[in-house]
Amino acid sequence: MSSPRTIRFTLNGEPVSATIMPHETLVDVLQHRFDLRGARESCGQGLCGCCTVHVDGKPVSGCLFLAVFADGARVDTVEGLARGDALDPVQEAFIEAGAFQCGFCTPGFVMMVKQLLKEHPEPTDEEVRHYLTGNLCRCSAYPEILDAVKLASARQAEAARRA
Amino acid sequence: MTLLDTPRKHGDASDGGAIGARLSRLDGKLKITGAATYALEQPVDGLAYAVLVPATIGAGRVARIDVAAAKAAPGVRLILTPDDDLGLQPATDWNNVRASDGPYVPLPRDIAYNGQPVALVVADSLEQATEAARRLAIAYEEGPVTPGLDSPNAGEGSPLDQLSVAWGDAEAALAAAPVRVEAEYHTPREYHAAMEPHGLIARWEGDRLTVWEPSQWTHSMARSYAEWFGLPPENVRLVSPFVGGGFGSKGFSYGFGAIAAAAARRLGRPVKLAVTRPQNFAAYGGRAATRQSLALGATEDGVLQAIVLRGASETSTVGTWVEQVGAATPLMYAVPNFSARQRLVAVNTVTPGALRAPGKTPSAFAIESAIDELACAVGADPLEIRLRNYAEEDPQARKPWSTRRMREALAEGAEAFGWARRSREPRSMRDGHQLIGWGLATGTFPVIRNYGEALVRILADGSAEVVTGATDIGQGTYTILAQTAAEALGIPFERIDVRLGDSALPGAPVAGGSKLAGVMTGAVQKAAIAARDELIALALNDPNSPFRDTGANTLILADGRISAPRGDGPVVSVGELLGRIGRERIEVRRDTLPDHLQTPEGRFRAWTTMTTVQGPTAGDYSMHSWCAHFVEVRVDEDFGTIRVARMVSAFDCGRLYNPKLAESQWKGGIIMGIGMALLEEGLVDSRNGRVINNNLGDYLLPTNADVPDIRVIDVGIPDPHASALGGKGVGEVGIVGVAPAIANAVFHATGRRVRRLPITLDALV
Repeated sequence: MSSPRTIRFTLNGEPVSATIMPHETLVDVLQHRFDLRGARESCGQGLCGCCTVHVDGKPVSGCLFLAVFADGARVDTVEGLARGDALDPVQEAFIEAGAFQCGFCTPGFVMMVKQLLKEHPEPTDEEVRHYLTGNLCRCSAYPEILDAVKLASARQAEAARRA
Repeated sequence: MTLLDTPRKHGDASDGGAIGARLSRLDGKLKITGAATYALEQPVDGLAYAVLVPATIGAGRVARIDVAAAKAAPGVRLILTPDDDLGLQPATDWNNVRASDGPYVPLPRDIAYNGQPVALVVADSLEQATEAARRLAIAYEEGPVTPGLDSPNAGEGSPLDQLSVAWGDAEAALAAAPVRVEAEYHTPREYHAAMEPHGLIARWEGDRLTVWEPSQWTHSMARSYAEWFGLPPENVRLVSPFVGGGFGSKGFSYGFGAIAAAAARRLGRPVKLAVTRPQNFAAYGGRAATRQSLALGATEDGVLQAIVLRGASETSTVGTWVEQVGAATPLMYAVPNFSARQRLVAVNTVTPGALRAPGKTPSAFAIESAIDELACAVGADPLEIRLRNYAEEDPQARKPWSTRRMREALAEGAEAFGWARRSREPRSMRDGHQLIGWGLATGTFPVIRNYGEALVRILADGSAEVVTGATDIGQGTYTILAQTAAEALGIPFERIDVRLGDSALPGAPVAGGSKLAGVMTGAVQKAAIAARDELIALALNDPNSPFRDTGANTLILADGRISAPRGDGPVVSVGELLGRIGRERIEVRRDTLPDHLQTPEGRFRAWTTMTTVQGPTAGDYSMHSWCAHFVEVRVDEDFGTIRVARMVSAFDCGRLYNPKLAESQWKGGIIMGIGMALLEEGLVDSRNGRVINNNLGDYLLPTNADVPDIRVIDVGIPDPHASALGGKGVGEVGIVGVAPAIANAVFHATGRRVRRLPITLDALV
């Protein structure tokens, strides 16, 4: 039989621990133990991307990722992106471009776009469309999401040139 | 000076006011940081977790449920089955009719569709409830199943005489017409598939019930719970500040809500029910499947002489939902002879419901495909044939349009698309192995009017609040109500806060029928002007006001500051003025109800039913939003794969309160239309009536990679008849006409006319 175990990990830069059951998913643990509700379950099959968080710098579907595997890892969520009142450039670009309506899927998109821009700092339209195909938005703010990625990318490039 | 004295608004940035500006979402930061709390994320102490158990047969009855093994499972607190009397009474429907032959039984023994709830299991954890639900031993007596509209045993259904529309002699004119096109068009079951699944948290405190549930209509849903449980309306509060998409599915309370709330009452403990993704395909209904036989008769020049529509749509065996396939047919073209009839076929499904532009969407698929077929039959350009048959007035109601900028939509859309470069013949445009097709179709959605109520507060710090029970399901209610208040109050947008989504707040209609923006901007404007007038009156008359002795008879409120109209008097901030005159706040509550509804009964009915709604032809005009979609598809000649390569859509939705948000609504509707055209279909197992693709892997939604460049063009002008501020509906019209535009483009690319949605490659190879 399964029994509780204690995991320790770094959550948005802070060392944390939680005593959990082995079947608990990362999105459940984030929601219920840490009151972080940005990553949400929608399809429950790892198909929609609403539950996307980063584990050791790689995006995972939090609804399929067992929390025990986060033991010793670095976990980053949408709640960790802003620095005080200053939003992350991707978050700012999403607001400016109007890249969401209901907002339910948005944190998952933002976390995926963070990774997209890490791998492709100046992506083409087609790269963006295909990279983000694992994130569903039924309000279908897809055109504005593309705009937001391009905006964030341009600003990132501009900042890099200045630096 | 009040807002009413200000110059006429054009609805764009040239006005210089907050209304019409391309402002970003008021709720943007909350949503982008994960801080917006959706219904099931509400922190509630002491929750028990419920699991809904769906029927696995398509029709019949529950013979017995053995609960012993489930009850013995760890953590189980309660099991409800058809053996339990939940003690519920019927709720009033949207026509304000309440069944008198109670009780209301949301867990009946008779099974009318696969997926119907047969039990609810509540435990200390979701895992325990899930495991216990698995241990229920359910014995069914199976009956014969009618799985769908086109099933051999479905029959012809019953006529819906109230939907019959006729003028002239359509059958005779059709028979006499030199050119006839006749065909049958089919649309399948489609689903809302909002990213936020349905569900609720129900908490009782004595005989007071609080429900956190995603909602497009807090007041009406709260009323349902109150009536089910025999409570005074004020004892139920339904809270829904953020909604993860609704598209028509979240306007009403459903059986699962009644069952979960009954469980919470019985347990004396708050209960959370998260309807699983697969259950979201049967816990409430999507768009009904439809079938339309449509015949057009025309002259050899393609001038319409007759339209004859014979339609059918499905409903359930336990409820009535009419997907009105003739909703757009009589409006689109001038025609001297018209006849439309519809039948309703009961099958074993959950009762279908409203999905974005109900009726108009399948209706437009048939008429806008047929007009394209007529264009081909007479050798006319699809744009030209629409102008030849242009309806100068409402052909059915015989009333003038309030505004109908369809010519402008067609012209500007065609210009932006490059329609003039289209070669007429099918299969005449290609790019290597890709056949290129250009298609066009138009769409419409009625202007629906209703009433609303809002509270506006001007606070001591010079900021203001807008408060109403209306909801924001993503369309932008928070933002446009703040814009409205900002402009009326002369207080900057950034200093306006908006509270929504709670049945305890002032009354509002459903966020559905594309009417909430028009209704609630009117209510907020009225309340804000009253608050502003009160502030100005105080400033002129209060003994401690610096304006007391200026001799001014009115004052200007702009950028959060008050000043005299001509020049040299004092200029003080709103906050400072309130401080000087010793007021903490100014608070004004106003509604837009007419006198005959200014009674407790009238108000309750207005906020909780559809009986105060005024349709598009209730007044002297016929009022609708309009659009024209231009599509390029590319079809692989060998494999039949279809891609939408680009789209241009032009819209007349009257004045836009926020073009950034309106364009997003249009594009979202268009993309849902792409899904309808090419991807979406609820597949039903003909043996047992089960929706077999009941998940987001198998029920295909458009993704980023399915979405082409979409350009939207606004050709609207303010429509003073449609709403207080001149806007018409925005949220639904975008989907209407997309599927036929794509089907017409597929025909142009391939020479194949596909009349059954979705259009998949097997229809083309």
